[in-house]
Amino acid sequence: MFDDDNEPKFFSERPEWEDVVPLEQYENMAPLAPIMYTPEYKDATNYFRAIAKSGEKSARVLELTEAVIRMNPGHYSAWQYRYETLLATSSSLTTELALMDELAVKYLKSYQVWHHRRLLQTLIRKPVPELAFITRSLAEDSKNYHTWSYRQWLLGYFNDENELWTGELDFVDEILAKDVRNNSAWHHRYFVVWASGVRDGDQDRERVLRRELTFVKQSISLAPNNASAWNYLRGVLQSQKIPFETLAAFVKPYSELFDPSVTDIIDVDNPRPSSTAQLPCAAAIEFLADVYEEQSKEEGERGAEGRLKAIELWKSLANEHDTIRKNYWEYRIREILAANKPKA
Amino acid sequence: MTTARLPAFLRAGHVSHCKRCLTGLPSSQMDHDGGRLGIGFYCLGTMDLLGSLQDQPEFDRESWKEWLWDQQTHGECGSGFRPSPFMTANHSEDEIIECTKYDSPHVIMTYTAILSLAMLRDDFTKLDRAGLTTLLRSCQREDGSFSTVPGGGETDLRTLYCAFAISSMLNDWSGIDVDRALRFVASCKSYEGGYGQSSFCEAHGGITYIALASIYLAPTHLSAKYLPTLTEREQTIRWLLSNQFQSGGFCGRTNKVADSCYCFWCGASLKILGASEFFDATAMASFLATCQFKFGGISKHPGEHPDPYHTYLSIAALSINPPSLDPLDPNSETWKLEPLDPLLNAKLSTAAWIRKHVPAASD
Repeated sequence: MFDDDNEPKFFSERPEWEDVVPLEQYENMAPLAPIMYTPEYKDATNYFRAIAKSGEKSARVLELTEAVIRMNPGHYSAWQYRYETLLATSSSLTTELALMDELAVKYLKSYQVWHHRRLLQTLIRKPVPELAFITRSLAEDSKNYHTWSYRQWLLGYFNDENELWTGELDFVDEILAKDVRNNSAWHHRYFVVWASGVRDGDQDRERVLRRELTFVKQSISLAPNNASAWNYLRGVLQSQKIPFETLAAFVKPYSELFDPSVTDIIDVDNPRPSSTAQLPCAAAIEFLADVYEEQSKEEGERGAEGRLKAIELWKSLANEHDTIRKNYWEYRIREILAANKPKA
Repeated sequence: MTTARLPAFLRAGHVSHCKRCLTGLPSSQMDHDGGRLGIGFYCLGTMDLLGSLQDQPEFDRESWKEWLWDQQTHGECGSGFRPSPFMTANHSEDEIIECTKYDSPHVIMTYTAILSLAMLRDDFTKLDRAGLTTLLRSCQREDGSFSTVPGGGETDLRTLYCAFAISSMLNDWSGIDVDRALRFVASCKSYEGGYGQSSFCEAHGGITYIALASIYLAPTHLSAKYLPTLTEREQTIRWLLSNQFQSGGFCGRTNKVADSCYCFWCGASLKILGASEFFDATAMASFLATCQFKFGGISKHPGEHPDPYHTYLSIAALSINPPSLDPLDPNSETWKLEPLDPLLNAKLSTAAWIRKHVPAASD
């Protein structure tokens, strides 16, 4: 209705608003960072202040608040008043949700548009169609923080709805197939698989762990210099209390220059880097150094070997492969030397 | 220690950028109507960090204070500051306007108002302290988080931090249930080592600062069991450091691009964890040098439009973690800044003013 060309531009020109006395905004003499409002915004907010004062909750208030929100999606009072008006007038919440489909994509970065959607969904309680909406919205901005948080909130809030959860891993796979460096998708994978309880079909945790390790290893072999995949791998190993050492055979070839002499035997458990990969990969060197650091805690020769190798790897990071974090790698070297000081 | 040479830090330009914004913002900024006081805070803060706020004309300083106090509102749910009079109807100076539910104090704006007034060295005799604790009490939710305004508005860790900072400045924690709040903070920790804005959310540099600052602002007898363990601390440090690029800039989430504001969020987090020396502050400064607009102001990425938010946070980043510069370089003088209190996000002298004047006077 707001976009209708026959409708006068200003609320002050519309006969159906004649009974309302608009209230100008108060501003004392020297305002801090005043905004040059457009005449349309001034007009709509003048009427909105009057409505908020009179307490009117009616259909025309929905029109008014929509106009304010379209000019300023961060107007939280207009959002709050709109929500209360929807309830007071028993308006159709599904119609409202349809309007939000448009506004959410238009104002992706506004906190309020997503908050409003949560409020609506807690009343409508039909979460499944929301997933398709979120997927459309992610097509506009595949890393939008609000959009992903909303998806996580929705899944968590309607935790018991199996239908809601069944396609979640496929959804993540699809996004990662398009962009294996999308950290929001990796984070969502962690949330779905490890942080939100055990779903039907995933009761065999050993199998889930194997599946996830295979997935992350394959992702690393496709794009070794991908911090998201390495962080996921570390996260899974740490939370499942699996020693990093068990992955050493897989990680080692990524920590070195490509070796063409190794015959290309396909090893599903340890996929190798491709000949075009940028090696050595700093994340692999770091991982391997962590393995040796652990080994350095052992007694005797193995401990000494672990210490030497960890130091060697950290030195290569500090001086060659990750120089921006030089101070950090040198700190790690100091720490391991201090921890292994011969006992007096 | 390595020393470097950098282009000049354009102090005068950054001050005039912020002064311009204080004077007026174009209509393209209308979506900040509900956060105007925040913009004022970044502008005044920039001048404070650059040491030029006390040199502004007395008339301006007085009128800024007056406007800030004008935003203090009182209602059923307590007192605090609103973002601007954007919901206040015109009235004469002596007419007392009752604060409505839609014109209520806002927790984030209240935090920025107190800091702004302290920068202007206000004596805080007008502060309704009891009203502030009432406001915080009415904004805390069942799960420990805080809403931005009483009875509504979004909730996330940003608001929780502001509630903590307000309580710390007042030296009065009676307005919040600290244990419940810290339990909420703990639920926001991600497997990457950083924190997300709510439970289950992705690790984010800004939110990680907010989470750490909250934990370390809380009274120690209440926060003891929520302090990161040695392993957790190492993990968070590792993740924060991994956000720095070879260019020196920081990103806020894994695999995103560098953005000047994360030099503050990540750098200040590292400072809180006592790990500042592990990253390259000089490289960070050289990245920030490239984000300067030659006529003043600092932008998100090199070559973009500057704004007060990125200008303030970039300077705050440099105040906390200054570069090591070649003292023979004539430009090195332009980069010298007074240190910052990393928990309150205020210059040390401003933070000291807060500690002295914001708590209720003890008899």
